[in-house]
Amino acid sequence: MTQTPPQTQSWEKPGELRIGVFICHCGLNIAGVIDIKELVEFAKTLPDVVYVKDNRYTCADPGQDEIRKAIKEYKLNRVVVAACSPRMHEVTFRRTVSDAGLNPYLFEMANIREFSSWCHPSTPKEATEKAKDLIKMAVAKARLLIPLQTIEVPVTNKALVIGGGIAGINAALDLAEMGFKVYLLEKSESIGGHMAQLDKTFPTLDCSICIEGPKMVDVGRHPNIEIISYADLISVSGYIGNFRVKIRKNPRYVKAENCTGCGECKDVCPIEYPNDWDMDLGVRKAISVPFDQAVPLLYTINKDYCIECFKCVDACGERRAIDFEQKPEDIELEVGAIIVATGYDIYLPYDNSLYGYGKYTNVITSLEFERLILAAGPTGGKVLRASDGKKPHSVAFIQCVGSRDINKYPYCSNFCCMYTLKHVVQLKEKYKDDVEVYVFYMDMRTNFKGFEEFYQRARELGVNFIRGRVSRITEIPGTKNLVIHAEDANLGMPIEIEAEMVVLATAAIPKKGADEVARILNLTRGADGFFMESHPKLKPLDSPTDGIFLAGACQGPKDIPYSVSQGCGAAARAATILSKQKWKIEPIIAVVDPVKCRNVTVKCGICAERCPYGAIKVAEKQPAQVITAMCHGCGTCVAECPADAIQQMHFTDAQILAQLRAALEKDPEDKILAFLCNWCSYAGADLAGTSRFEYPPVIRPIRVMCSGRVDRDFVLEAFRLGAGMVLVAACHLPYDCHYISGNWKMKARMEALAPMLHKLGLSPERFRVEYISAAEGIKFAELIKEMAEQMQALGRERIKAENEKLRPVLENMLKRKEKR
Amino acid sequence: MAAQERTSSDFTVEIKQTLGGESITRCYQCGTCASSCPVAKMTDRYNPREVIRLALLGQRENVLGSDTIWLCASCYQCQERCPQEVEIADVIYALRNIAIREGKVPKIYAEFAATLTRDGRLVSMSKFLEKKRIEYGLPPLKPTGVEAIRKILSATGFDKLPISGMKGEST
Repeated sequence: MTQTPPQTQSWEKPGELRIGVFICHCGLNIAGVIDIKELVEFAKTLPDVVYVKDNRYTCADPGQDEIRKAIKEYKLNRVVVAACSPRMHEVTFRRTVSDAGLNPYLFEMANIREFSSWCHPSTPKEATEKAKDLIKMAVAKARLLIPLQTIEVPVTNKALVIGGGIAGINAALDLAEMGFKVYLLEKSESIGGHMAQLDKTFPTLDCSICIEGPKMVDVGRHPNIEIISYADLISVSGYIGNFRVKIRKNPRYVKAENCTGCGECKDVCPIEYPNDWDMDLGVRKAISVPFDQAVPLLYTINKDYCIECFKCVDACGERRAIDFEQKPEDIELEVGAIIVATGYDIYLPYDNSLYGYGKYTNVITSLEFERLILAAGPTGGKVLRASDGKKPHSVAFIQCVGSRDINKYPYCSNFCCMYTLKHVVQLKEKYKDDVEVYVFYMDMRTNFKGFEEFYQRARELGVNFIRGRVSRITEIPGTKNLVIHAEDANLGMPIEIEAEMVVLATAAIPKKGADEVARILNLTRGADGFFMESHPKLKPLDSPTDGIFLAGACQGPKDIPYSVSQGCGAAARAATILSKQKWKIEPIIAVVDPVKCRNVTVKCGICAERCPYGAIKVAEKQPAQVITAMCHGCGTCVAECPADAIQQMHFTDAQILAQLRAALEKDPEDKILAFLCNWCSYAGADLAGTSRFEYPPVIRPIRVMCSGRVDRDFVLEAFRLGAGMVLVAACHLPYDCHYISGNWKMKARMEALAPMLHKLGLSPERFRVEYISAAEGIKFAELIKEMAEQMQALGRERIKAENEKLRPVLENMLKRKEKR
Repeated sequence: MAAQERTSSDFTVEIKQTLGGESITRCYQCGTCASSCPVAKMTDRYNPREVIRLALLGQRENVLGSDTIWLCASCYQCQERCPQEVEIADVIYALRNIAIREGKVPKIYAEFAATLTRDGRLVSMSKFLEKKRIEYGLPPLKPTGVEAIRKILSATGFDKLPISGMKGEST
């Protein structure tokens, strides 16, 4: 961790400003709606703008070249690009201006695509006006930008992989092979994950544990990998390159260093309990391993069942591995990168009475079927009915149980079509014509190498494929056979088919405890509950938190090859950090002005108290000090400081106020001034644009990294200038904030401010705090629609009258502050 | 079935704008409705999945002109079980409302409407039926208050609907 003194750059703007504005057509994406010519002419009228150019595609090589050339030719010292979202191309253009010798932080973007052309296509005139405002706001900020230097932090060259399924195994092995130390954290007793539960794999029908087992052994033996199994993740703090991880190892009541895995204890143990590894179809001893190939091969005593007869202690004898006094053990690790590979769960449809699962004994899930047909499973590989222990002569497989169902899990679970094909092929090849097999499906999805051929193989084996979704299953009381009701949609005929066994292909769902993992690691979850990647196309393995990556089914259902690829991919992504000695951090951090800080004269320390990262140290009679490498740049302290003594670089009060004033210069009472946090609300607004959800073009958004940055003075100033409405939008409570708790700090601040404004005569609907996630484009669009309607209902006159009443009070409040 | 019409989404748009028809485009043709439908079990003249399919394909005349949409018994089982929350029974009502607006009503419904306007009852009474009631020991029917019913029908605009045989004339 490095402590750097406050940045020494001059706060004043340099002598002569020369701003270049580049306006992108984005093909017809922008130019198809917005009048580019008008924008160009408008930009020329803005203060300090000396050069304006429009390009077809500013982000393409020729467009970037034009920027570089213009910087040199026209001696530009500020660049504004009006194009897409800064979340898309800010990094690109920072690099471009940097190539031309300009400090990358002297660049600003105006988002006229996601925020204008894409969301206001049917009102091109208003969209153009909004784009003008957005450019004016960007130029206003650009005039106050100062050059910043990137900060470097040291990197711990070790990794943590969370989850020992096939994705986590591959991530760990690849990183270990690259020479990095890897901790592989596994919640259960053994690594292996779901793949170790399976019999065969599609479409090749090779034995699952035969191909995964050797990999598991490799992990166990690798000198660079330390498996931490039967353990829970407790907390994670720190930042990219420097994470501090707390883990709790649960007691096995068996000493790892003494246990040889011989299993003599198990042989003498008199107690059996249902083995959830076998989906509770088989049993295991109170001291045992979940399956023979477990890695690490360490026995565990289940105290819920153990009767403490100590027979195992006798059997273990001299090895003295059994220790009934073992306690949970907390350990701490330091790592530079984290890979999350926590996997998925299988939906058990107890709550859907139409399928009869849990009610009719011969209705089972596919994972249960997997354990039945597996030679090493509880029935020795025989498919048997629970009702009478007999082999069924007819089996019906039901697809999309819970999946593709708006009332349950709206998404497609990805691998069920293929595993059902595997099951029917296995069943047909095992029992030949002795078993009649039916598959009820809606669409058969066989979209990878060898999959379609496998479907063909199933048809040739004489499997009956029926296109139609099952509406319900009933049981015949005497025989315990089942009647499946469906429509053969191809014939347009309702049908009923009797089968002796029913196998439900149930949905793959987010892992139990995913919410807890998300909270600890600051991850976001999509509407489906799976972890969200940083970008669906270009950053599929990155989480929104730097240094934390995603692999496998924790991000959405995936089959084995896909999970393996992601594990290897995430390892490569993590290695981009681990392979460096130092990692560069964006310098948008908080800086204290030691002269203004109140703590020198009175006991203050509000900033230190409100910082979500504990990055500010306050010593008595000393100005507060920001520990640069710990500062994440949320700006919460900046908004909280009662003396305005802290500034956030690149998001200074002056810069944000300049944007605000530019936005409200013309017809303020018709506008909604919005503060959007970069990670959730701004992304949600972007999504509204990319999804082409149309909403009224009355909003003027200002991007802040975190809603915690939104100073109450910004709200006061907006209303002083006559804004129609003010919106502060943040990540969802309680856990979605990317700066841990910036949204909570904002909430407390605004909840104190709102009643005061209401008392002064402000209509409550004119000041809103909302929570919008990156996935809620539709919510954003609906919200703006609703607010615009309310604004219209209030009417210009009423808003103006309220503002007249408010202004002197607000002016006084803001003036008092200035004096201090 | 009448000749196939040009495939287009025009009819879908029209249905979505009609009360009850909003959810039609969510349908992915799984057949849960047809398999749940007690009418489809009895006759191959009615299959809710096929009605929606034809509507989505823009087969306007085929859907509105046939008796099919009038066979739905409104039990709502299809709607309860639909995995895409298509409000199937309500879609059928939307289709019926569009049909009625254009005067495309099966004869039996036109008769009901006419009898209601004329007698204040859906089924008109005959000497034969009255005799039967006496035979079974049932009390004589009370007068229907037809004036009040006509007022209601007029206030709701029911009597303005282009259903042949209304306005009191017998069919």
